[in-house]
Amino acid sequence: MRRSLKFRPLLKACFSLFRIETAESLQYRAAAIAGASIGIFWGLIEITVYTVFFLFADRNEAALSLPQVVSYCWLHQCLFGFFSMNIDSEILAKINNGDVGVELCRPLDLYFHWFSKTAGKRIGRFWWRGIITAAVALLMPAGYRLGAPDSSWVPGFCLFLISIGAAFLLCTSFGMLITAIRMGITWGEGPANMLFLLSLVLSGAYLPLQLWPDAWQGFLFFQPFAGNFDLPIRMYVGSLSPGGGAAAIGIQLTWTAVFIASGRVIMKRKLRNIIVQGG
Amino acid sequence: MPQIQLTGIQKRFTVYERPEGKWPLLRGAFIRHARQVQALDSVSFSVEEGEMVGYIGPNGAGKSTTVKIMSGILTPDAGKCVIMGRVPWRQRVDHVSRIGVVFGQRSQLWWDVPVNDSFDLLRDIYDIRPASYAVRRDELCAALDLGGLLKTPARQLSLGQRMRCELAAALLHSPRILFLDEPTIGLDSVSKLALRAFLKEENQKSGVTVLLTTHDMDDIQALCRRVMVIGRGRLLYDGGLAVMLECYAAREGQDIDEIIAEMYRDMELGEE
Ligand SMILES: Nc1ncnc2c1ncn2[C@@H]1O[C@H](COP(=O)(O)OP(=O)(O)O)[C@@H](O)[C@H]1O
Ligand SMILES: [Mg+2]
Repeated sequence: MRRSLKFRPLLKACFSLFRIETAESLQYRAAAIAGASIGIFWGLIEITVYTVFFLFADRNEAALSLPQVVSYCWLHQCLFGFFSMNIDSEILAKINNGDVGVELCRPLDLYFHWFSKTAGKRIGRFWWRGIITAAVALLMPAGYRLGAPDSSWVPGFCLFLISIGAAFLLCTSFGMLITAIRMGITWGEGPANMLFLLSLVLSGAYLPLQLWPDAWQGFLFFQPFAGNFDLPIRMYVGSLSPGGGAAAIGIQLTWTAVFIASGRVIMKRKLRNIIVQGG
Repeated sequence: MPQIQLTGIQKRFTVYERPEGKWPLLRGAFIRHARQVQALDSVSFSVEEGEMVGYIGPNGAGKSTTVKIMSGILTPDAGKCVIMGRVPWRQRVDHVSRIGVVFGQRSQLWWDVPVNDSFDLLRDIYDIRPASYAVRRDELCAALDLGGLLKTPARQLSLGQRMRCELAAALLHSPRILFLDEPTIGLDSVSKLALRAFLKEENQKSGVTVLLTTHDMDDIQALCRRVMVIGRGRLLYDGGLAVMLECYAAREGQDIDEIIAEMYRDMELGEE
């Protein structure tokens, strides 16, 4: 009986944590402006490079048109706040200095506790950065401007919004999986950073996945990290069929579930023999 | 059945050390010496509801380890521990929702957020009914004089202020047991006195069981009739404070710290 009753308090507590962290990170406007500036800077460079590239390449070959690539670059910069190349610094400090123990003194599942915290921080960080970048991108001169969403199929835009939500959960659950792997390990950050880098490359951050070799497209579509940015952006720029959109969201949610389940299992195992340091 | 019962609790840690001798740094990159530290060696005791027990011993004796085990955040290697009918580390979530824990050297408040927000968060985490939460919070704020601190982020509080907030945070959900691990460490006399007065009153009013580790014998003298002494992982004394002091007092009017030092010497407990 108690089990079923506990679900609501858990949800409520997690939502409170999420809200408080969001409110907290929304205060860091200077950091948001700095982040947005860097994003805009990168966006401009990327667009310039692609423009040159498209000028000299055989246009009919590419799976994306230049305007689609320009929108891709901007959207990627807008959504980048979801993603993190690091384990949350506060959580990492807790793992390293033994404050995990204090967290365990709370009647709350540690995985969801940290998940909510991380999610709140990321949303806060994403919010200003995303809005500023999007606003600037819409005001750019033609050729550099963020294009309107693909209008050939209106529900596509709704799918895009849903897919952004799914991308957020996906990024966060992957970060939590790495956090769980990192727990109770003393060999430092190297492997974690490599996993993050791999996920960044495979999420299309350096090159839109549809511009990768054709033979890889099947794999690229189904691998977990496409859902970070690439799949939602495909829906916006219209390089994915409506049926493909639903499938893409399915893929995102499936990988999210896989990451959450494995993160929880790993964390549970680690907690069983974690040694709370210091006293 | 006593509220807290530990039987034959064992805990051993493995510590890795750099080899000694020539080139320790270089050799340490290849070989590590593992050494076993017996932090707790067959510790058994029981505590009844409403007691205030002092738990003392020199540094590294195993006090914090005991508190961690009783809080459900550390699993012992062997032995039994039943607290309010539960095994702490097996039913952790159920267990911790009925106890309060304060570690003097760590903060459990959210560092960046105002204390009041931390309290609200705890209300949701412990699933406290809003009406009883408001009453309890105001009661604790009055008793600990927190009125002016509620809007301050925890990181901006002084140690004494923070410790008062920590105590309130640990008691918001009206736990039946309170574990305090060196709560007075680093506090000035005024804060210490305030803390003691509060604990005494709280224990009398709500009947909360308090187990307190400290190096400050005045804390013990002010609060506890019963003390447990632990040294090198073994429980060496468990009984009345007055009896213990009488045993080891060499002369009239001796300072309590001197008596304790004498006792540690007698039990051959140096610092390791
Ligand atoms: N995480 C740990 N790893 C290795 N040894 C530990 C750890 N925690 C405690 N110890 C050892 O266990 C013994 C008891 O420690 P502790 O319970 O913290 O002592 P106290 O709180 O009484 O000062 C000490 O010898 C300490 O070195
Ligand atoms: Mg200690």
